[in-house]
Amino acid sequence: MSRFRYSNLTVNLRLLLLPGAVFLYACQNMPAPYAPPEQRQPFETFAPYRINRIIDMADGDADNYIVHDILRTGGTWRWTGKHPEARVFMRANDGLHYIVDLTIAGATFKDTGPVTLTFYVNGHLLDKATYSASGPEHFDEPVPADWVQVGKDAIVGAEIDKPWISPADGVALGFILNRIGLRQE
Amino acid sequence: MIQALAALVGAALTVAACYAAGAILIDWLARHRAGAALQTGRERARSAAPGSVVPASSSKGMTLWRFERVPLAFTLGTACLHLAVFAILAAHIAYWPVLTVLLLSVIGCAVAKGSWRLRGEAGEPLSLNLKRVCIPLFGIFTILYFFHAWAPENSADGSGYHLGYVARELQAHGLERVTTDVYATFSGGIDMLFVPAFAIGRNSAAALVHLAFTMALAMAMFAYGRRLGNPWVGVAGAFLTYASPIVGIDGSSAYNDLGVAAAVFSAFYWLEIWDETHAGKALIPAGLMAGYAFAAKGTAFVMVPFALGFVIWRVRKLGGEMLRPLVTVILFSSLMIAPWMLKNWIIVRNPIAPFGNAIFRNPYFHPIWERELADVMQSYGVTDKRTLPLEVTVRGEKTQGILGMTFLAAPLALLALRFRHGRRLLAAALVVGAPYVTNIGTRFLIPPLPFVSLAMALGIGSGAGIGPPILAALMIFHAVSSWPDGVRRYADKFVWRLDHILINQALRRIPQDEYLRKSDMDYGAARLVEATVPQGERILGSRGVASSYCNCEILTTFQSALSQTLFDSFYVALVEDDQPKILESFQFPERAVRRMRVLQTGNVADPETQWSVHELRFYDHGVEIPRQPEWRLRAWPNPWEVQLAFDNSLATRWRTWESVKPGDYLDVDFGRERKVDEVRIETSSDYYQIRLQVEALDPSGHWAAIAKNPKVSAFQTKSSLRLEATEAMRSHGFHYLLIGDSDYGADDFRDDPVAWGLKQVAVGYGIRIYKVIER
Repeated sequence: MSRFRYSNLTVNLRLLLLPGAVFLYACQNMPAPYAPPEQRQPFETFAPYRINRIIDMADGDADNYIVHDILRTGGTWRWTGKHPEARVFMRANDGLHYIVDLTIAGATFKDTGPVTLTFYVNGHLLDKATYSASGPEHFDEPVPADWVQVGKDAIVGAEIDKPWISPADGVALGFILNRIGLRQE
Repeated sequence: MIQALAALVGAALTVAACYAAGAILIDWLARHRAGAALQTGRERARSAAPGSVVPASSSKGMTLWRFERVPLAFTLGTACLHLAVFAILAAHIAYWPVLTVLLLSVIGCAVAKGSWRLRGEAGEPLSLNLKRVCIPLFGIFTILYFFHAWAPENSADGSGYHLGYVARELQAHGLERVTTDVYATFSGGIDMLFVPAFAIGRNSAAALVHLAFTMALAMAMFAYGRRLGNPWVGVAGAFLTYASPIVGIDGSSAYNDLGVAAAVFSAFYWLEIWDETHAGKALIPAGLMAGYAFAAKGTAFVMVPFALGFVIWRVRKLGGEMLRPLVTVILFSSLMIAPWMLKNWIIVRNPIAPFGNAIFRNPYFHPIWERELADVMQSYGVTDKRTLPLEVTVRGEKTQGILGMTFLAAPLALLALRFRHGRRLLAAALVVGAPYVTNIGTRFLIPPLPFVSLAMALGIGSGAGIGPPILAALMIFHAVSSWPDGVRRYADKFVWRLDHILINQALRRIPQDEYLRKSDMDYGAARLVEATVPQGERILGSRGVASSYCNCEILTTFQSALSQTLFDSFYVALVEDDQPKILESFQFPERAVRRMRVLQTGNVADPETQWSVHELRFYDHGVEIPRQPEWRLRAWPNPWEVQLAFDNSLATRWRTWESVKPGDYLDVDFGRERKVDEVRIETSSDYYQIRLQVEALDPSGHWAAIAKNPKVSAFQTKSSLRLEATEAMRSHGFHYLLIGDSDYGADDFRDDPVAWGLKQVAVGYGIRIYKVIER
């Protein structure tokens, strides 16, 4: 006992305890108790969950989904070749619609005349459409569920019967693509 | 071109002011010496040569060689100037004219006092062979670094948070009270010097200032070799560090690692000067630089105990007074450290933030953040730690950079153990490198790198005849293997490194915006945010952008308790295990009670386990007791978020946000006695081993257990958790959500934003921005 009382080291260490205790007390930062907050109301009538896998050419990452025959030129639209294809990853396959927003360009139409587009999903022919004037067009057709595998990429594409061939370099141009993909209804 | 010139002017003025401040202080210290005669440079060189045991001098004077004045004055000046800028920011007068006047007045003062001039003895002239090797090698790397630093700044952390906060502080003309970003709590000793540079010359000026640290470090290392009496060791050691690929890219970006390394090495250098000259005043810059190392980066705090340990060791060995030198180091290092600790204590109630949140508890940062960060920083995806030496020297993709192939020979540094100074260098490397275990990124090896480099050079090149040729060969090999073309041959493809000399970009022949949009997705994302989100709107984000290039505030997932909690609501909506699918019901005979609590009593082995409660409800005869304003809610731990268990939203939840422990509780004071016979907890399945009991406070003030072993059943909500999560975000004033295309849950938001109550308003550069649909 006397060793403790008269040891300089012990006395010094004990002196350190006081500011130490004050220091640690200051650490607590405890708040006063809270009252219950405003009660939130449940959202019981909400829109059902739907999947929308439309690749907009204006998207910064649109190039990542091009399979082939869509020119990687950037911007809000792209020229296609004869048989453009893109891929979309689907987490569901019921109630799907194949959506394409495209434009038949006046510059090519004056040479090719009316063109027919054939639309494919995973290699299955979904439909054909003939466009006998230049200008914007919208394609929207339901897709059988068994054409698309859940959890895998689906390949959506189109084929134009009469691409415009550049006399200068022989490049084949199909149509102007704005949006392409699958939407769940 | 004006941008390029402004960057040069901003950097030049800042660097010059740093040198001027340091030179003034050094001259002042030299004038106020204790009285004894000055030691000549040659005497010092002889006494300090490798193999010499005890410094020959007992002089109390403190003079420097001319070749060491510039680097030591610059680094010492950075420490002083950083305090001045901190004071200006604290006073909220950070206007560019004020900052410019500060720089000019320091430079003017140095010129007027004569401190600007190079002083001191010139030292032994350098050999022609050394110059032939040294000048072209340092020259070509300096050109590479200079143009990179001068080009538009596009480094992740540099254009992100380092300069992001500089830009923000300049806009606010002072320090801001930021409690929503852990990066704001980092000590910003180097960033303070970016403030005046940025005010004049924007981002590139800051990168050039950091480059000045890189060059000063190399000069100091070279000077150290000359001080040892072996300039070849100095030049080779300096070049090993200077040309290292990670030093090149980091040191020419607006990062802080080379600033830290320069501060640390400078502190070491001043300690050596003190030891050699016994000039007590040398401990003032030693203390300042040790403290500034902490101010530059928290992990460099080890320099303070190193300095203290060094002083104790030398005083014990050579005799003399112990208290005064120790107090000097403590006092002057505290001068640098205190502002940062005080700032954090005042703003986030935690002086040692970003760490120690479980000691200095606060509502701004969850303790779990520290462990999660440590897990990431100690891993970097390097599963087999035995491959780490290869990863940090020649691969580098995982640890984000390489030291260079030459450092495969780093064990040769052990040969320096033969020499007294070699042992000191290795001891410093060991201490300064110790925090590396907390973060294994390559750039966290930069602070000890100068010591290892000098020890390598000393170890293999100290022989009088064969030393220089060996070191020259080593330098040439290092230059070839560290030049971008050399690195390309052996390093991982996507390693962080310099690519080529950016002359056109630096001179802005390629417009800055065009270059940055192509080279930096974060810059493009920043511009997209700027163009989309109205000024003043805060954004909740799964990732950040190059915030120095946009006037916006983004709160990202882990950076604060608020953003972590809000993102937790999104994860509740997305992840089945986080959803409230379990109902725990505690039933007991009806009793009148004023205060009740649910107490956790289980010992849970897994430190990852948290306890969480989506809703806590009280019932009497099957009817819920409505929550009343007079109720008082308490929780431990995380008392600040207790309301989340009482807000009637199943997307939000109270969590411990740290390892669950016995004694954790949720406590409700009803304000008056209520009849209760059931307590229900709506919770998730993402934890286990937790044991709960309901307790009531009896009139004598003791808690008595009234129910254990709850009846557990499945629970199903009809509400949309997605909409509730968005509502939680909106209720905190957020109207915009930024989601990275590759971030968790990105496809869910993208697939159907309407299900979340959101509308996509912008896309590009790897992000999508959603706006809350107002109801």
